[in-house]
Amino acid sequence: MIKFPSTDYFEALKTRMAAEQERFRRLGFIDATFAVKVSDNGRSRNFVLEFEVFELKNVREVDSVDLKQVDFAIEGDARVWREMIENIKRHGEADTNHDINTLTHFGEQLKVIYDGPDGHDKLYRFMESIQEFFDLSSGVDVSFN
Amino acid sequence: MAFYADKDYTQDQEVLNAMQEVMQGHLTLHWYDANTERIKGKPADYRRGLTYRDLDVGSYGYTDLPEDLRRHQSMVARGSEKWGKLPDMGYLVNRKSEVWSDNVADLYEEDKSRRWAPAVDVPWTGADAPSPEVEAACAQLYTFLQECALVSLDFPSRWVSLVNQEFLEVKSFMCAQMLDWARLLEAFRKRALMGGQGLKRASATAEQGLKEWLWAETYPQGSLSINLSLAGFLLAVFRQVAAFAPRKADRVLMGFAMQDAGRQVAYGLGALRYLLSHRPAQKVAIEEYLDQTEHVMVALFGSPELLEPMIVICGGGLESAQIGTGRIATAKFIRLVVREYMERLEAAGLSGRSTRSRIPAVVDRIATS
Amino acid sequence: MSYLSTTNFLDDKSFADKWLYTMRTGELDLSWMNARTEKINPSPQNARRGLTYRDLDLGTYGFSDVPEKVRENRSYAPRGAEIPPGLPDAQPEVSRKSELWAFNTEGYYEEAVTRQWNATTDIPWERLEGAELPEAIGKALSQLMTFLTEVEMIATDTPAKWLPRLNPEFIEVRAFIASQAMDEARHAEVFRKRALTTGWGLMKASPMNEMALKHLRDADSFSEMSVALHLVAEGNVLTMFRFSEYLSPTDVDKKIFRLVMQDEARHVGYGMQHFKWVLENFPEKREILHKHLDEAENISFAAGAATELTESFIVLAGGGLKPENIEKGIRITTQFQLKQMEEHFERLDKCGMPERKGERSKLWMMYQMGKAAAEQAGLKI
Repeated sequence: MIKFPSTDYFEALKTRMAAEQERFRRLGFIDATFAVKVSDNGRSRNFVLEFEVFELKNVREVDSVDLKQVDFAIEGDARVWREMIENIKRHGEADTNHDINTLTHFGEQLKVIYDGPDGHDKLYRFMESIQEFFDLSSGVDVSFN
Repeated sequence: MAFYADKDYTQDQEVLNAMQEVMQGHLTLHWYDANTERIKGKPADYRRGLTYRDLDVGSYGYTDLPEDLRRHQSMVARGSEKWGKLPDMGYLVNRKSEVWSDNVADLYEEDKSRRWAPAVDVPWTGADAPSPEVEAACAQLYTFLQECALVSLDFPSRWVSLVNQEFLEVKSFMCAQMLDWARLLEAFRKRALMGGQGLKRASATAEQGLKEWLWAETYPQGSLSINLSLAGFLLAVFRQVAAFAPRKADRVLMGFAMQDAGRQVAYGLGALRYLLSHRPAQKVAIEEYLDQTEHVMVALFGSPELLEPMIVICGGGLESAQIGTGRIATAKFIRLVVREYMERLEAAGLSGRSTRSRIPAVVDRIATS
Repeated sequence: MSYLSTTNFLDDKSFADKWLYTMRTGELDLSWMNARTEKINPSPQNARRGLTYRDLDLGTYGFSDVPEKVRENRSYAPRGAEIPPGLPDAQPEVSRKSELWAFNTEGYYEEAVTRQWNATTDIPWERLEGAELPEAIGKALSQLMTFLTEVEMIATDTPAKWLPRLNPEFIEVRAFIASQAMDEARHAEVFRKRALTTGWGLMKASPMNEMALKHLRDADSFSEMSVALHLVAEGNVLTMFRFSEYLSPTDVDKKIFRLVMQDEARHVGYGMQHFKWVLENFPEKREILHKHLDEAENISFAAGAATELTESFIVLAGGGLKPENIEKGIRITTQFQLKQMEEHFERLDKCGMPERKGERSKLWMMYQMGKAAAEQAGLKI
């Protein structure tokens, strides 16, 4: 069992992404660095994910996110992230109500924050790859707190 | 208007003699020691392949392209040796600042790598049909989106042959845009028709506005309108429809669509930024252009052929509570479009646009209504 | 010199008020729900192929029933939609089906979309690392690639120039042209990239061929453009790609030419089908097409006379610059050039213009002379 949130969780997704290279190759280049911020009772755990070409190159946990160093960050309560991951596990992929686009769309469940629109727009330019990356959770046994 | 060759070559003795000389073994080899730069390009990253950025070297590259192209009116490949009598291809866009964006070569590569095929990549058959009212709304929305796609397809098509061939990467990106919009037109049409409702009504108000944007006088103006304003609007539409997707087909289709629109917006923003940073005096003209043409945004928001189906789709039906939900979601969508539009203009160098523009005041009336 | 819409929507109080009223009250007009349009139920005829344009060739939405003269729709309304009053005129200059139609246009487009390849990642560029060609071969290859990258973009610029002039009712033709534009940008790209990986860079431009490009670009009708570009020019280039694949000095070059010839064959296919369509449905246009061909063939002959192209073929085909190489190269290049002309006339014959193989065509006369000379020299054609 891998805990969420943790670097182990993202490393597990990274391993699965590498194993499914053909699928991600078909989707195309993904050149983006974004942060995932998970808050729980006023505290936040922050992870920076660096994607390059067809893979997740690097994952690291940071104390705080410098928006100038990332294209965008997706932040939200642990409860929302958990619901998303459990939904993915149940269905094999996120359903419409739990995919990244829907959750972030009005900023009411997950919120996208960014330093500038160039970075922000990368979320949409690489949306299919980002979604399929999170959908890899379907093959990972995840525990929460 | 047709161009005729300067002579009948099949009867020209000089040409025939020259051909005969070569075919008898007397090669001229005038090309053998061409006066060009010698390079052996290779990929910087083999996972990525050989990109245009890898070949941004010396006389072949794009970084060192000058602002004004005064002696390049043919289709000669950039960096090759020009000689002989070269025709004038009639390019009208010859200033780098009018077309360039620092990310254009990368966006072209990204576009190619992220291609998709509507016929097979969208799940057209499925048992998740929504109610007839919602399906009718989808048919109407996708009819509207086909109109937007036709206009978006026309824009790069109108300009590509007028853009100097030295701006190869920009022209290549424009070709990629053409295919993107042909593909989106195809996908929207298929989606509109798959639900059995047929197409619905074209939008006179939207088309009037779209034609004004499409037929802009200059490429920078047109690019601002189509690549930034319209593409930004459509990006938000795609995200909205994906979030409220009645069918899986909508969700998948809009996922691909938002990728294509996101790239286009990235170019539009980059091009405006490049123009304003290299020719700051253009800011006045651009502001004036926006003062004149921003009203088209209102046409798009307010066209019943977009507004009403969006309310129905977001609300999930025609019941009073559903309409109420749909209205709220649509109001949020409108505010999101305007907010992101202003952010992009600001990032491009048009600081203060949100106070100068008349759009926010109109949108605020929605918020208070 | 720009278009102004019939109203400034920010100043149009009734428009803005209606919009705000709708948002405030939720009272929807919904008249679009009862649009006077046909209801159809398309489905994929072949599940593996997915939902295609051919599957949508039904009723008022289909392409088969688009009339010869499109009289009703000049706007951006998609074919089959309800046309309300007030739509702007998109100013199409081509509203006659015979000017642009071809059997299987929709098929060519669908094929193009599914067969897009990527010059960046689908060519094994890494195999060129450390690979050195002899100087003569490397330079000849670079010269060939320089020519090819120079001419490919005309097949983007020219049809793209026509695309917005075509009535938007002709969705499938517009889509095909868009796919061609992308194909040609990719060709210009791959040839440029290959030239810049040889170690020699680009070589010399080709003025004779530039003239051909200008002729294509300035065609004064879509049909003339298609005859000159799709049928004549691309037909010649298709033969050239096959010849180049045969001559390729590395497997990387072979792969390049195999991929580009797939795309080119689609474009030629469209050109042939369009030509055939016109001849079959509008026999009175035959003489006009002959006149288009007269000039297109003149230009084509001029392009073939460009020494920087012919000589690079000779060096590649012969394998070098020694007299015996040149002799061999000339033999093979002669065979290619005659084959190119032969295939051109075969295409015209298949499309329904066999009389082009006669005195009407000066190029045919040149071909006959060239063939006779070659046979006299002992060459098998």
